[in-house]
Amino acid sequence: MDHRLFDRLPGTRKAYDRKIKTICQECAVRCGLVAYLGQGKIVDIHGDDDHPVSRGRLCARGMAFIQGIDHPARITSSASRRTLQVPFDYSEDGEKALDLLADLLRKIKDHYGPEALQITCDPASDLDFAFGAARFAALWGLSHIYSPSPSRKDQSVFSWADLPFYPCNEWTRSRSLFLVEADPATTHPVAFGWALEARQRGSKLIAADCRFTRSMAKADKTLRLKPHTGNILGLALMKMLLERPGFDDVLIRTRFLEPEKWQRSFEQISWEDLENTLGVSRRSITEIGELLAGKQPITIITGESLADLSGYGIWSTLMMAMGWGNIKGSGWYPLNGTNLWSVVKDKEIPDVKSIAELVRLSKGGGLSAKALIYSGNGLVDLMTSSEDLTRNLDLTVCFGAFPDLGWQKARMFIPSILWAEKSDLCFSSDRQLLWAEKILDPPAGCRSGLDFWGGLAKRFGWTESFPGIREDGSTDQVAFYQSILKDESFKGINWEDLKSSPGRSAALLWTHEEPKTDPMFAPEELASFSPGQEETPFPLAFLRIPLVTRSTGIGSYWPWAKQIEAEEAVQIHPETAKLLQIENGEAVMISSPAKTLEARAWITRMVLPGMAASPLSLESDRVMIYKADMTPEEALTFLSS
Amino acid sequence: MIQPDSDNLPQNYLWSDPARCIGCCSCEVACILEHDLPPGPRPIRIIQIGPLSHKDGLVMTFQPASCLHCLAPACVEACPTGAMHKRIDGLVLSDPDLCIGCQTCAIACPFGVPMLNPDKGKISKCDGCAARVDQGLSPACVLTCPTEALSFMNPVMKAQKARERFSQGIRQLKPKR
Repeated sequence: MDHRLFDRLPGTRKAYDRKIKTICQECAVRCGLVAYLGQGKIVDIHGDDDHPVSRGRLCARGMAFIQGIDHPARITSSASRRTLQVPFDYSEDGEKALDLLADLLRKIKDHYGPEALQITCDPASDLDFAFGAARFAALWGLSHIYSPSPSRKDQSVFSWADLPFYPCNEWTRSRSLFLVEADPATTHPVAFGWALEARQRGSKLIAADCRFTRSMAKADKTLRLKPHTGNILGLALMKMLLERPGFDDVLIRTRFLEPEKWQRSFEQISWEDLENTLGVSRRSITEIGELLAGKQPITIITGESLADLSGYGIWSTLMMAMGWGNIKGSGWYPLNGTNLWSVVKDKEIPDVKSIAELVRLSKGGGLSAKALIYSGNGLVDLMTSSEDLTRNLDLTVCFGAFPDLGWQKARMFIPSILWAEKSDLCFSSDRQLLWAEKILDPPAGCRSGLDFWGGLAKRFGWTESFPGIREDGSTDQVAFYQSILKDESFKGINWEDLKSSPGRSAALLWTHEEPKTDPMFAPEELASFSPGQEETPFPLAFLRIPLVTRSTGIGSYWPWAKQIEAEEAVQIHPETAKLLQIENGEAVMISSPAKTLEARAWITRMVLPGMAASPLSLESDRVMIYKADMTPEEALTFLSS
Repeated sequence: MIQPDSDNLPQNYLWSDPARCIGCCSCEVACILEHDLPPGPRPIRIIQIGPLSHKDGLVMTFQPASCLHCLAPACVEACPTGAMHKRIDGLVLSDPDLCIGCQTCAIACPFGVPMLNPDKGKISKCDGCAARVDQGLSPACVLTCPTEALSFMNPVMKAQKARERFSQGIRQLKPKR
């Protein structure tokens, strides 16, 4: 027995015959991962101690993924059915399934035209499917595809190329780290480790959010905002900093077009309006602003939800106006990662629109599509109104692995391989390009996203425009990526070096958009940036958010993750719960204009009075909560009293 | 049977720092993965405390809770088969070959640590990753913790680490003008 002093001694005790270093692709932090295999199965996984960002650490989700690989519910055969009401017919012949799909798509195109097909994809979770979808859509003749990270060409923001950027392990250099509606302790715990280390070295950690989050619990200074007002806080901070005596406007005068007009746009917003919208006092905003006006470096970390709200351009504008980012450990770090679409050659792909827009179109009856192709659990995570979306479609095609909502709404199902089963390129939220080595072979019958789109392209005779397709139906990813990535961003990459050192970055700070010099102006009416007003009978503001880990939607196939996530919990403030006569842990009903679900009350001051938060999808940001033995009308009476 | 700590060998302990714990539960999954446990038993658990009122704001902490590997473990005394035992290095663990799943140890433990593994019908509790420690490896929960809230070392080293950290903090202090 060894009684020596213990420090950090990594490794496995389990018998293995192969060890593979790769990259975890459960989130955009892209931690280094070491997988140990014995007889073709994963026997153990650990973080890669040599990885510069993760330093051997892994989060709960980054370990629990292995349960999905061999999960008995996983689907590895192609399937199709005539209507959603009948069971699937499964087929082991994947090529035959693609033949059938190509025939159906051809008929739809001939009859209704190219715009009758819609495609949704998420480059952050499945890069080769997304880029393959973009190329296929361009060849098909679509003007746009849908993604949770749209191209944002319509937003008035600076070019990312003009904004210096540093990876999360540089946060330790920051004097102040400012989290805005970002909870990396829950969503990106490994990256948050660097924020804690920065704080230990003397940085100030400031957090602004409507919830008292895990990250906020570690902050030196906190600000509780009204829900969905993070970008408006950016406006308020910009206004405060402009009004601050001694503000140096050299950068504004030299970099901004129409600097006076831009500055006036902030003068015309009233502090009273800002205070009312944000739910915080001018004094609190000024205190935060004074900290940010202090010594550099300063890093602003924004949450994923802000990207879909009006006024997102304020963060790049603020950074540009203040000159943040000129030294290491300084700048704007959006947790939603990066706009991957802008690294693709613009002429080769159609425009990329937000999935939220697709849902709006669908709800408004403005969607003329007859077919929809989507990946993974896209319907669960990305599409908030799947019922509306799939109701009038002739063909729904799901490229996935599990019998989730996407599978339920599909008329054709093509089984996908999981990220651990393919060697592929991935990007990190640190804007790095990484090569991830596969851990184990995929089950027979499953294919990669690129194989799927390449296979379809082959059937339409587009092999020349879809490079990398091999005779056996598989696709050479490197050949494809080389053809689709912008030359100016990726020139000089030695793909062989990249592939031979999995997990090591090869590119950093790629160009995002064409250079712009127009900052975001403050809106004439603050109301245009504000969240919706209260509407009875749904008086509570609702936030759909993971409460413990970022495992929502996949827990059914990862029991380890499911038991730590409170998937059916709804957080209610004690004052609100008292009015509604709800006890902690009690079964409650939570209803929105779209649906009503059962939930378990979690009474906590993590949420503000008059709001609720849960991982449950209610398809709305307004809800009502009531006891299971009560009617919503009764509960409304209690609440209004 | 409790073995006397007669040879004065340094014992390693699992240390947790609530100031660094963010409640991400990575340690819980690492432990389950290491011991191949089904859903149910959680030898290490994160307890969320708060948010509670503090001055004019709120505070919230997370406490990793696991076996304390007591000096005089009640579970060891209570075990009718001798499965539960305390090793010379201080770790308290159950021998699965001797465990009959009677859960007497679970009743005896004042902290409710031992839990039944429903798949095997045996007791499951934190064993300090004894099998890993015997191979000179750190416990799984310590290795995976993203914020270094967990550590496994003896009190001498822990004190040394604390001194190093404190001196780092002193070095970063700059004299006021």
